[in-house]
Amino acid sequence: MTTTDVDQTAVGELPGRRRLAVGAVGVVFWAWLLARWASHNTLLDRLFTALGAPNLVQSELGVRQREPWLPAEPFQAASDGVADVAASLGPASVLLEWLAWLFDLAAFATTIGPQLAAGAFVTVYLTVLSMLLGLLLAVPLSVARVYGGPVLSRISLAYTELIRGTPLLAQLFFLYFGLPLAGFIDSFGFVGSGGVPRAAVFVAIVGFTINSSAYQSEYIRAALQSVDPGQLTAARSIGLSKLQGIRYVVLPQGLRFAIPGWTNEFVYLIKYSSLAAFITVPELFRRARNIGSDTFQFTDVYVIVALFYLALVLTTALAMGKLEQAVAIPGLGRGADRD
Amino acid sequence: MDPVLLQASDWQFVLENWQFLLLGTVVTVLLTATSLGLGFLTGFPAGAIEVYGSGRLQAAVSTAGVVLRGTPIVVLIVLFFFGLPLPRLGTVPLLEVDLKAFVAATLALGLRSAAYQAQVFRGAIQSIGEGQMEAARSIGMSERQAIQHVIFPQAIRRSIPGFQNEFTIVLKDTSVAFAIGLAELLTRAEQLYLQPGRDTAVMEVLIAISAVYFVLTFTTNRTLDYLNEVYAVPGGNE
Amino acid sequence: MTLLRVEHVDKSYGDEEVLHDVSFEMQRQDVEVIVGPSGSGKSTLLRCVNRLTEIDDGAIYLDGEEIHALDENELRRRVGMVFQDFNLFAHRTARGNVTLGLRQVLGMPREEAEATADDYLERVGLADQAESYPAELSGGQQQRVGIARALAMEPELILFDEPTSALDPELIGEVLSVMRDLADEGTTMLCVTHEMGFARSAASRITFLDDGRIVERGPPETLFEDPEHERTRAFLGELAGIQ
Repeated sequence: MTTTDVDQTAVGELPGRRRLAVGAVGVVFWAWLLARWASHNTLLDRLFTALGAPNLVQSELGVRQREPWLPAEPFQAASDGVADVAASLGPASVLLEWLAWLFDLAAFATTIGPQLAAGAFVTVYLTVLSMLLGLLLAVPLSVARVYGGPVLSRISLAYTELIRGTPLLAQLFFLYFGLPLAGFIDSFGFVGSGGVPRAAVFVAIVGFTINSSAYQSEYIRAALQSVDPGQLTAARSIGLSKLQGIRYVVLPQGLRFAIPGWTNEFVYLIKYSSLAAFITVPELFRRARNIGSDTFQFTDVYVIVALFYLALVLTTALAMGKLEQAVAIPGLGRGADRD
Repeated sequence: MDPVLLQASDWQFVLENWQFLLLGTVVTVLLTATSLGLGFLTGFPAGAIEVYGSGRLQAAVSTAGVVLRGTPIVVLIVLFFFGLPLPRLGTVPLLEVDLKAFVAATLALGLRSAAYQAQVFRGAIQSIGEGQMEAARSIGMSERQAIQHVIFPQAIRRSIPGFQNEFTIVLKDTSVAFAIGLAELLTRAEQLYLQPGRDTAVMEVLIAISAVYFVLTFTTNRTLDYLNEVYAVPGGNE
Repeated sequence: MTLLRVEHVDKSYGDEEVLHDVSFEMQRQDVEVIVGPSGSGKSTLLRCVNRLTEIDDGAIYLDGEEIHALDENELRRRVGMVFQDFNLFAHRTARGNVTLGLRQVLGMPREEAEATADDYLERVGLADQAESYPAELSGGQQQRVGIARALAMEPELILFDEPTSALDPELIGEVLSVMRDLADEGTTMLCVTHEMGFARSAASRITFLDDGRIVERGPPETLFEDPEHERTRAFLGELAGIQ
């Protein structure tokens, strides 16, 4: 498996004007998400209760009891209105029926918004934690692969090939149903109560961290190999040890080249964190599936959840692009642009 | 909790059911093939439209690409399964495959793959220097002829590593069809260890099917590496 | 006082013998210029001195100590190197290139390291470019930063590996003038270069290396005016002819 996913971009470029639209929608979406999370956060609840405002933040409210902030009625009324007009026009009103469905969808979205926001919270922290923990593993893995001797580099290669050659869902099943990992985590007592998530969430983080570390190390390996070998020679020539040379000269450049790949991996993990639903983690997709089974509006809820993921993915890609610009060094091209 | 992991009797159980798992492997391979085929047939023109198309068509294709690449595969699969007005198509005997689920999974995996393959192909086209087009025009070819006879043949060869990558991704993601109960390898694995009294065999069954996935990706990738070397244009990949 | 003593050094890459029985000595404050056709082993010889390349046989002494008895990082701190293609740390400014070794190898506090770096950048005439990244500098400026980076470690000896070969002709002068200043100030330098003007005016000795062997060695006047070997005359004559 000599090829890597390195030369693919995460989601691709949106046409110019749409980038702006996505940016604007993204800001509103994140403002709403953050406000939703804050309004049911355990820590903030304790803080504001201590400050004398016990009802401002309501963390004890079950996810299904949470009230939407936007009323669904106007959308529902609009939908019904348009549907009536459509019905009176007969079969020539396909467009109007679409419009009625869109309003219907909006009404449904406001109703299930609080539950999806709670799911998105799990999705986001699953992804972010696993990315960061994965990076901690990926840096030594890639350094071992490039600079390690025959033994270390083969171990690193075997690890990445095994992880990348098997499905993530099988890996999650293995960890959750196969290994007694969940029971082990549960034995810590504090898990599953007082704002601490259930064992399945920890298992998912372990699984995503392992999976992500293999992909991240491939991106970083490619980036390290694109750093001119003369850089390490020069570092050695002023008396830096090999590890110091890697730490102070090769990695700072290589990690910058790895940002586009890292963006890909970030986006990949946001999407694939949805598989945690199958080991009972109440993240975004599982919330949607549960709403589907409650309401039988499967199509509607899956369309809405697709939009949620799109918003998360596109805003992440935009933000990572900004990060890349922010840490760019004059004359040091992006990994992909280097010749 | 059972203290003894990886018991011999559980491996025995896996061996006894090799035919059951083989049928799942067949479904996995079939689903990979139909999805990649659909992905290639739609991804290839989509990539060309993104480079050479204009106006609404190009904008529509690139937006569809972003939507397909930005949505989790499991959401696409359930959305196509529940959202599309697919008729009930019955079940294939022996493989026990619900045809409706198979079609929905093929569409989801295939169109998502098309969105990625389009990017691979687009990148390959854009990596071919202006000089190639100028040289083709200078001997009297039209732009269309130049694209057809000079740009595309080179671009397709340069796309091979990217397509190869897609193969691995699609093969692994067929396991997500578990979400709609399609009887592929992972679903069949679960059916095995959910049999009464077989909950000790979870690890063994999962290791066995992971090995199948690994062997499939590994051997196919090595074969494609080899083909890539044999059919590469000398010096033409830089 | 002898600073560098190279004794019977052999080095091969596979079947190819790159250095054969090379021996010479340098005193403190000497400027030794090594000349020779490409592939004659000049760069390899330089790299053996700071152990970027390991010798097969023989011995090299720095200030009386065999260099293989020294810690290699310690050796490289004491023997600076300037590269043909500069090898500036691409992610660091001119100042950052100089401070990295001061901070990480010598353990100097940040402010002191920055002040020191600025001093050395001033010495090579680049005080105003301290904040520039390598890609924002001309080749000549980059090489001068490379020299400042080596100088700042206060090495006992600096190796120059064809420091002007990668430069456009109009940029060579500024680098050579810095090197000439260093020579005048008594820096001990071991240089591989094709710049015969520099060799003639600055070198204490010139060594002509061909096919991995020292053909002839002596003060510049002797080698330029009255070489012992016909090969030396032919090579130097050809070089002088190009320039």
